[in-house]
Amino acid sequence: MPTDPDPSGRVTISNDRANLSKLQQALERFGQQHGIPVKAVNQLQVVLDELGSNIIKYAWSDGGRHELSVSFGVSDGAITLEIDDDGAAFNPLDAPAPKPLRPGDRPRPGGVGLHMVRQLVDAMAYARIGATNRITITKRVN
Amino acid sequence: MADSSLQIQEAKKGDVCVVTLAGRIDSTNAEQLMARLSTLLGAGETRVLVDMKQVIYLTSAAFRALLVAADEAERRAAQFTLCSVLGQVRELFEMGGLLDAFTIHASSDEAIRQLG
Repeated sequence: MPTDPDPSGRVTISNDRANLSKLQQALERFGQQHGIPVKAVNQLQVVLDELGSNIIKYAWSDGGRHELSVSFGVSDGAITLEIDDDGAAFNPLDAPAPKPLRPGDRPRPGGVGLHMVRQLVDAMAYARIGATNRITITKRVN
Repeated sequence: MADSSLQIQEAKKGDVCVVTLAGRIDSTNAEQLMARLSTLLGAGETRVLVDMKQVIYLTSAAFRALLVAADEAERRAAQFTLCSVLGQVRELFEMGGLLDAFTIHASSDEAIRQLG
């Protein structure tokens, strides 16, 4: 399985959470190659971990081996991440925001990740293309 | 597991168990943190301080670990506090709506004074 970006800049991993570190390393490299500010790279690392771990957790229910892939692009002062998986259709834009807290309640973890993702990116789009979920993230880095 | 890039160190300052975290906390390593905090609380530590000063960034997996530890501390009548939640890490706490979910001290010295 390739762990380095292929010529199109796409990195593919199998659906094991430990493999998310390969995406993390690829994004780190991409950021260094393109001189992207560390803070923006770190914010995208959070985004990638949230979306990648969600896919690994929920996209496939058969317990089998599957793949997800990410491509990294930069143009016009913005980074674009495109995350593809062939799991169950899921639009993260439809995920509900975390429930408002009652006074004295401690927040529950559910929904926090996607809530953070929405605040960390400038645009997020979802498309179901045949049997593929594609999430496209754009973040300005100027 | 591959390079997890999270370092967890513990030190006793009087009665306070100071857990110093350094690096990134994400879904590949947050369970290590959860297990470590659970072990400390299970071993009878009653004052646990997690120093976040050297954390680069964290994801919701880290928040889950910290919330689970805070719950466990409450069940055991232990104090569980954080300190040095700064810069980008603080912004992420804000984005997660979690800044008010924990007792957070400005620095480890201040926290130890309060806890000790």
